[in-house]
Amino acid sequence: MIARVAWLLARPGSGGIAPTVLPVVAFGVVTALLAIVAGGAQTFFTWNDDTALIYQVLAVIALVLLVVPLVSLGGAAARLSARRRDDRLATLRLLGATPATVRTLAVLEASVLAFVGAVAGVLASLAVAPAIGLIHFRGEALGTSAVVLPWYVLVAAPFAVAALAAASAVLGLRQVVISPLGVRTRQDAPRLHWVRVLVGVGVVALAYGITSAIGVAQAAILLVTMLALAFGGTLAVLNLVGPWVLRLVATAQARRAKTPARLLAARSVLESPKAAWRQVGGVAMTSFMAVFAGVGVGLLDAAGTGGDAESQLLLEDIRTGILITVVGSFLMVACSVGVNQAAATLDRADLYRSLDMLGMPITTMDAARRRAVMSPLLLTSVGSAVIAAVVLLPLTGIALIIAPLSLVTVAAVLAAGVGIVWLGLVVTRPVLARAAAPAVG
Amino acid sequence: MSSYVIEASGLSKSFGSTTALAGVDLSVRTGESLAIMGASGSGKTTLLHCLAGITAPDTGTVGFRSGAGAVVVTGLSERERSRLRREAFGFVFQQGLLIPELTAIENVALALMLNGMPRPAAEGYARGWLAALGLAGMEERRIGQLSGGQAQRVAIARAQVTGASVVFADEPTGALDSHTSAEVMTALLDSTTGQGRTLVVVTHDAEVAARCSRIVDMRDGRIVGERLRRSPEAEVTA
Repeated sequence: MIARVAWLLARPGSGGIAPTVLPVVAFGVVTALLAIVAGGAQTFFTWNDDTALIYQVLAVIALVLLVVPLVSLGGAAARLSARRRDDRLATLRLLGATPATVRTLAVLEASVLAFVGAVAGVLASLAVAPAIGLIHFRGEALGTSAVVLPWYVLVAAPFAVAALAAASAVLGLRQVVISPLGVRTRQDAPRLHWVRVLVGVGVVALAYGITSAIGVAQAAILLVTMLALAFGGTLAVLNLVGPWVLRLVATAQARRAKTPARLLAARSVLESPKAAWRQVGGVAMTSFMAVFAGVGVGLLDAAGTGGDAESQLLLEDIRTGILITVVGSFLMVACSVGVNQAAATLDRADLYRSLDMLGMPITTMDAARRRAVMSPLLLTSVGSAVIAAVVLLPLTGIALIIAPLSLVTVAAVLAAGVGIVWLGLVVTRPVLARAAAPAVG
Repeated sequence: MSSYVIEASGLSKSFGSTTALAGVDLSVRTGESLAIMGASGSGKTTLLHCLAGITAPDTGTVGFRSGAGAVVVTGLSERERSRLRREAFGFVFQQGLLIPELTAIENVALALMLNGMPRPAAEGYARGWLAALGLAGMEERRIGQLSGGQAQRVAIARAQVTGASVVFADEPTGALDSHTSAEVMTALLDSTTGQGRTLVVVTHDAEVAARCSRIVDMRDGRIVGERLRRSPEAEVTA
């Protein structure tokens, strides 16, 4: 029964094809990126020499950094899926369908969209594999065959992504109420307590302790575990403190706002600082690590520590890895923003229509939603980068003097990442314009 | 000089094969309260949208006259119509359609800020209108923290704060109980016709319509009847 109803509902709604295409594209990009990164990483795990472990650890870190925005994207796609069926799902509830049935439909749809997107993503990863194969590690191109994942992994990938989307959908739908009267996001934005900051400081101190003691780790497995603990701890802290900081800044912005767009943007962040954080939080760790690694690589490079060819190659490879990870992370955030924005716009179509009637220019509405994303994004990415620079202060200063190119490269990549997210916002503008158009009738 | 603030003639509008308006002529007098009644699908909301410059009719013209002069609304570009709506008209909708994340005072002040007024001044005017509508002390509440009637009064304040000469209301009491509905209509009439402004209300509620000075009835995209409140016997059929 559910399959038959799902098929009936699989027609474009009032929002056009964008709400269907966006999650498919998003999952496609995610799968392609994962396949590419995993493909590249598998090469490192075929090496057995002295420096192989360093490459393997760095590859694992890059994968972890990319998984965070991926999970956020999955939830966003699921929420969009539920919302684009707004009236239809509500009607089903009105006709007597149980919440479980309706949720199953929404989860099924998210999974199908994810599967279709993932298949496209796998094909896309195969298409770009020759280009990826040209990337140099250890002074030579990786080669196309080395970066293509085994066939059984490629076949399993769409199923795995669909399963992940289903899991994300179940979690994402906890924030959506599908009642007989409509689908709405739950309006619960609990106040965030400053105690979060204290807990955060404690965890950072612990993480610092772990990284300081990392030299005592003899076994590789212990080293990786300690790294993961320090890494995971810092990620958890960022998730704990991030929303609190966003709320603090948005409160000040709302108080100072002089234009409608600034006021709307700040209030929109204050509506749910956690949601604002979920959207952009993924880049926090990436920015932090990019500066951290950028300074280190720059200094080692300039100091000539890597006198031997192998060390020089390692530094060069770390720089390449940073660039790939940062761009990949921002690309995922851009997809997440695109999907979230489409969902939010559809959810508020009535409001946008009424604002258009009041004479509010679409440019003002667009500026407000752009600012509501870009402000937390800039705060998160630049803030994390600055914190990393401050933590390493003397070294950052030295690197800036003796190896400026390394830091300039990191800054340029971060700027490009912000630009990618901005593009994600631009592509969803037609959804806003359509939502604000007067209703027919 | 004409005493009409809005004059529409020969308005027609179709959506695909559905005819929403089929040659409507209507004049709205300055300072009157006009109720447009009709069953669902009769074309009353489309007529309101055409009069307010929200929707462009397929044929026909809409003229608007104010102290600043006369304009042909149907001859304006999309951008010019947006500006006209922002500066000269006010709107009240069935659900209020206020911005939920903003406070009451911010919702009202926003209408003035869109016209370029600095925020402190805009909030000053907004505070005055909220107080006049019985919402003093509730300025910092968000919309979700207000009752339906209170939210609708915030919407009325938003419609009035710009000094709009015409307020368009689409089923303004549709989501309210009868007692609150009467209160909201009183607030709406006092703040519009009570101050020499014009009110155009789309409603299917006879009690709401009965409080307006003139009622036009619509069916199948045409005006089929017109009544004056003070002289119900003077009913005419178009």
